Amino acid sequence: MASPVGSAVMEIAVLVAPVTALEFLGEDFLLTGEGPILSVYSLQASTKKCASLNVLHNYRIHGIRPGRIHQCGESQFNSVISSEISVWDNDEEEIIVFGGKGVRLVNFNSAGQCLKLIGPLLELQDWVLDIHWLKAQPHTLLGIALAHNALLLLEAESGNILSFYSCVESCLLYSALMIGPNWDSLVLVGGTVFNQLVLWRPTGTKSSGQSQVERRLLGHSGVIFSLCYHLKSGWLASASDDRSVRLWSVGTLGGDAGCGEETPTCLRVLYGHQARVFCVKLTPSRVFSAGEDGACLLWEWGGEGKVGCTFKGHRSGGVKALAVSGGSIGCREGWMATGGADGGVRVWRVAEEKKDSKETQAETQLDLEFKGQGCPKVVRLVGEDESNTVLVCTDQGEVCLSQGDTWNVIWQGGAEFQSYCIMEITSIQVQNSNCTVWVCAVGNLNGGVQVFLIGQPGVGVLLKAGQGKVHSVLWVKGLSEGSWSWCLLASGSEGLVYRWTIKVMEDESGLHMKEETLLPFLLPPCAKRWLTAAVTLGQRKGLYLCGDRRGSLLLYAEREKNDTRNGGERRMDSQDQETENRQTQMGGPISPISTLYGVHGKQGVTFVCEYQDLCYTTGRDGSVRILTVEENVLKVRRVQRACRGMEWLEKVLFLGSDAPEVQENMLNERIEKRKSDQESESVAEARFVMVGFHSVHFIIWDPHRQEKLLSVACGGGHRSWAYKCPIHTHTDPHAHAIGHGTLVFIKHGAVMASHSLSSTETDVNGYTLKEGLHGRGISCVCHLGSLTKTKELSELWEIFVTGGEDTTVGVLAVNPQSGTVKVLAVLTDHISNVRALAAIRREETNERGRGDRTDTSLSSLVFSAGGRAQLQCYRLLIRLDEQQGQPICQVTQIGGHRLDEQWEQKRNRHKTIKMDPETRYMSMSVVQNGTEYVLALGCSDGAVRLFSVTESNRSVDMLWECFYHQRCVLSVATYKLEDTQGRKVLLLFSGTTDGCISVWDLTAVLNSKAGVSWQGPSAPFFSIPVHQSGVNTLALSPQREMGQMEENMISLASGGDDGQLSLLSIKIDQKEQENGAMSLQLLSHRSVPLAHSSPLTGLCLLSPTLLVSTSPDQRLCLWSVNSDGLRPLKVLFSHTADAAGLWAWFGVGPEGGAWVVVCGQGLQLFKLTEREMDEPNETVNRSAKEEERKKVMFSHCVSRT
Amino acid sequence: MGRSSKDKRDIYYRLAKEEGWRARSAFKLLQLDEEFNLFKGVSRAVDLCAAPGSWSQVLSRKLRGKDKSEEVKIVAVDLQAMAPLPGVTQIQGDITKISTAQEIIRHFEGQSADLVVCDGAPDVTGLHDVDEYIQAQLLLAALNITTHVLKPGGNFVAKIFRGKDVTLLYSQLKIFFSSVTCAKPRSSRNSSIEAFVVCQNYSPPEGYVPNMSNPLLDHSYDVDFNQLEGPNRIIVPFLACGDLSAFDSDRTYPLQLDSSKAYQYLPPTQPPIRPPYQQACQLRKNNLLAKEDSPSGPLDDALSALHLGTSPDTNSATSGTSD
Repeated sequence: MASPVGSAVMEIAVLVAPVTALEFLGEDFLLTGEGPILSVYSLQASTKKCASLNVLHNYRIHGIRPGRIHQCGESQFNSVISSEISVWDNDEEEIIVFGGKGVRLVNFNSAGQCLKLIGPLLELQDWVLDIHWLKAQPHTLLGIALAHNALLLLEAESGNILSFYSCVESCLLYSALMIGPNWDSLVLVGGTVFNQLVLWRPTGTKSSGQSQVERRLLGHSGVIFSLCYHLKSGWLASASDDRSVRLWSVGTLGGDAGCGEETPTCLRVLYGHQARVFCVKLTPSRVFSAGEDGACLLWEWGGEGKVGCTFKGHRSGGVKALAVSGGSIGCREGWMATGGADGGVRVWRVAEEKKDSKETQAETQLDLEFKGQGCPKVVRLVGEDESNTVLVCTDQGEVCLSQGDTWNVIWQGGAEFQSYCIMEITSIQVQNSNCTVWVCAVGNLNGGVQVFLIGQPGVGVLLKAGQGKVHSVLWVKGLSEGSWSWCLLASGSEGLVYRWTIKVMEDESGLHMKEETLLPFLLPPCAKRWLTAAVTLGQRKGLYLCGDRRGSLLLYAEREKNDTRNGGERRMDSQDQETENRQTQMGGPISPISTLYGVHGKQGVTFVCEYQDLCYTTGRDGSVRILTVEENVLKVRRVQRACRGMEWLEKVLFLGSDAPEVQENMLNERIEKRKSDQESESVAEARFVMVGFHSVHFIIWDPHRQEKLLSVACGGGHRSWAYKCPIHTHTDPHAHAIGHGTLVFIKHGAVMASHSLSSTETDVNGYTLKEGLHGRGISCVCHLGSLTKTKELSELWEIFVTGGEDTTVGVLAVNPQSGTVKVLAVLTDHISNVRALAAIRREETNERGRGDRTDTSLSSLVFSAGGRAQLQCYRLLIRLDEQQGQPICQVTQIGGHRLDEQWEQKRNRHKTIKMDPETRYMSMSVVQNGTEYVLALGCSDGAVRLFSVTESNRSVDMLWECFYHQRCVLSVATYKLEDTQGRKVLLLFSGTTDGCISVWDLTAVLNSKAGVSWQGPSAPFFSIPVHQSGVNTLALSPQREMGQMEENMISLASGGDDGQLSLLSIKIDQKEQENGAMSLQLLSHRSVPLAHSSPLTGLCLLSPTLLVSTSPDQRLCLWSVNSDGLRPLKVLFSHTADAAGLWAWFGVGPEGGAWVVVCGQGLQLFKLTEREMDEPNETVNRSAKEEERKKVMFSHCVSRT
Repeated sequence: MGRSSKDKRDIYYRLAKEEGWRARSAFKLLQLDEEFNLFKGVSRAVDLCAAPGSWSQVLSRKLRGKDKSEEVKIVAVDLQAMAPLPGVTQIQGDITKISTAQEIIRHFEGQSADLVVCDGAPDVTGLHDVDEYIQAQLLLAALNITTHVLKPGGNFVAKIFRGKDVTLLYSQLKIFFSSVTCAKPRSSRNSSIEAFVVCQNYSPPEGYVPNMSNPLLDHSYDVDFNQLEGPNRIIVPFLACGDLSAFDSDRTYPLQLDSSKAYQYLPPTQPPIRPPYQQACQLRKNNLLAKEDSPSGPLDDALSALHLGTSPDTNSATSGTSD
């Protein structure tokens, strides 16, 4: 396509930025401010975004003030106004939005659900901290608090200044709040740069012309970020950099009361946040505070200020905005919302304060008052959903069932079961009947396993699992011949796992139990040789996935018996089969057919399961492994680590449909589906949460959102527990709901519950209005491709990977039309900042046409590198889901590498000092060489390193390192050329902190044999100083359209810390001489010295003649390259602060154009098109309206009415 | 990550400890001087926002030389008290107050300063627009007091964030100085947006009267739309300074720098003075922060137990020269 030179138009398509302002409109709508964009979310029935508008141009929204606050808002004075405004059309709402020096009046129509700009953007000469609606006729008046401790009275629509007051103390304020019904009796509370709160009135003006400070509140040891006042109680709350919230009794402020009490007192000092507190809101009985630690704390008034509830719903970076709806200020139930640095918005239902709030301990943990003999050892929950009862097995060999307030002993094991007793339960379907019964299996020290019905303990069987200790009993459920069967596994001594199928039948005399002995499994030899987890796989009959105490995953296959109907199937391996069969008759144990020895570490496997054709396993190594079974071989597709410190995982729970019966149906369906659709290779992962222990807490962790859903102080691992999922889990699509269940556990010999088991109501019910991204800075972004079904913009999904300071790699799908950003996967394998990403897309070769890229799926190999010299490699398969039309992603982990791996494995490392530098990988570039991938890395220790990655054997090996530079290598780029005669050239460009760009000839690596050590060059063959200081970024483009030497000409663009943009035109000659040495000719060297006013951090060559650059100065620049140099085409303001990376590409589809994505403190997508002559007038008008601005000058204005 | 981690990540942090500087920023002023000869002929210097005092340290070592010249007068201004330095007079005061300016002049016996430096940074919020604005206000406050105390022809050096509105600050500075350069010492990390404006030859506009009570400077520092997206941005030259052969602040060095000298961990020369989070950290250390499952006890007792209550504020009066 033609380059959009000359008349280029750049527009914002999608923005993800910190949410810096939130406000409720009654109970029905939430207003959010993200960058300059004001959005309205509807909270009725189904929560959704209903309108969005850029209101502040280049300012970020810091405050939203609706003209009337529906209920008795934060300041009751507003209700006075509201009664007057309500004379107007009820659906119309005037809203004032401000941030930085910008102020704008906006209209919201709640019936039509649309936003409209009323006046121009008012640009003040000072930073606005607070705006207060004032009662006045005929025009609406605004009181504006400015950062230099001054007040302004303004006409809202015209922007005319009526009055200006300042305080004698003209210091800088971090926060301000105006209180009072009208201008004449207004009180300003300011949080100064000197950690004080000052109160003054414009009417307190002395003859000097400036107001005196009337009250001064001292106590904070940090600046004050947020203020809130509650009129009825006369309380003022302040949130500070010192991590505390202070509550002051100041009396009535404003009106006739002036500045309130003569001597205000500090009522409470609330320390609970782990970091700075950014926001505070007051309600009659509570304080809400939120801050950098990502938590919103609800402080109950009782005691000395107790945390009643913690709301955590944002990834790193903390909470930047907080709002409480009128309903929660009144006495009913209401909303609370938090906005994060991650760009996410969460709302919670906040119920009325509980009356029995004095019973503080009892509220959080409930003693179930177990009164049986001995100590409870195992606890389980019996029954479905509502009718849960607790079953306990004691060290006295008794099994007790709780019924109401009493505990009944339902089974006594006698002497054999005393001192050691283990238990597991399951529900079994009675044969030829629809009802299910609960069955309990208890194992003892001497190989005894008692199985009995919980409902009728008299019905049961006693089984023998060898002679020694029964280490574990496990139930597995398998599908055979269209019906379910239950198998009991008992792990005995010497690695033998005894197995029985257990059947329950009903006849005239009642229920009966029947067992059938199966061949035992044999575990691989090791010290702690017993089974810890098992499941049957739906994939093929008689396939078991097991986990043992040694951390191994084992795959067992049932031996086919000669007399079974399917016997014929496996006849082919004739001889082996016969010997095996002979063994079978002799009863020889079955050995695993596939083993992953010790993959879950020495603390063992804790859980295995199969869900939607994938296997999930957990262990006490803090990892979930996702596996596939391919031709009877276990393959780890991916490892997902839990949060830091959560080393002991117990289980995974799946979101969505978790109810057993649903799963059952699905399994049947899937088996059916598999038969019909053999080649569907892609199986995407289900969303799951991790269950485990984090020091003394039981935790449910959502790896996708990086969030704790439940935390119960149970005392830590080494205890039996049971978790009751909330009933609505499978209907509620929100992840947080899964954390609202009840945990039953054993603590200090008592059976405890985290909540009452009978109560089904949940105090906290959160919704995600908008999902957040990384939170802290996004260091790098890489565009993988576009997916579209119909080539229409509305169905276009752009797929990205992002790497962030939060150490995660994210896979995102962005729909430019709707602005939807979907997080497809969050990869948490990095232990430090992810600084560089690279990807190679696999060309799809299918029947329709070779090398034809399909638009509905893409497969990419993605590499990520970053701090602590860590490198990771993944295969991503992303396709559009047929039914939903939304992208889904499958992640396969290829491998990883760390330079200091040996150090991690070293014993006693805490006693020695690690002498080597903690190298950071700064930049990365990748080229494909046959089946091998060559990675070049720029490293902070002064080295350039080369790695080889082979996908088939999952190897990541270092090929070469060279410390030639002796200074931090900030950027690298590779250039690979292959001509028609099969000659190859590989060049590496490296940029360092001294401003030099060096060129290395690495051609030899392409021809070196794998495994053969390769001697790379010891120095670059060409080097040129380009920048004054660091070369932050390099971009390459071969100049294809030029003459015959075409591919040997390269355009190399570089961006520096000095803000300079340079473009080198290079000609490469590989001489025909014997030595084959490379020579390089610099054809031209063009520079724009101050292309940006801050370091140039992102650069991309769209074509040899078109360049895009960005920088923390928040400008996105488009440059054209011609014979006389670089010419700026277009500059656009970007809302992504701290821009760190950029990617540009030409779009797919008939619309063409190009796209640019910028990452930093958020993410922004721009669309680049050629200007069309017949642009619709409407859009022109609309953007013209948006651009409209008016300066409000007041430096000359000293009029004081 | 051990305590030596920072020594590897940041070579200048390690060097500062070895050479006895209070903060690594000392190297930045030294490298700025290398490029601009800032200290040449200077006998009266002011360090604004001085704490913890590394720039005062540099002034003290470089200006006074070996003979501990009595001619040289150095004044350090900060809200916080800092440990005394030889030859440096401390003023504990607010740079937005006229009284502070007067006090500086008093110390110079009525004469104006030859050099004003400011390495102050505000308490950041993590929101870039707010942080940049507040840093700009700090710089403008420093410029304002500088117009009271600097002699015509004198120089002014201050920290600046190269953010979205930095060009507006440049235009402001160019009103008062004939030469303004944006300089980046090599000891300042490449990854940080921090830089320094070196303003040479103070020459205020004709008829300019320094005025502290009205922050006029801010009011004329406003956004011109053309500056946002048009080509008319005011740009000042950029200069990277410091010797290229010096240590690289972005490089991670092994702990063993040369084979002859064994690595030894050194504690920081000066820990931060009463940071805002001090009390919260103490509470957290002692597990006294309020949590959902443990009601916070009476905080007063906890505080008094930690001897952290309200420590008496140090006088705002001037402390004398300690030599």
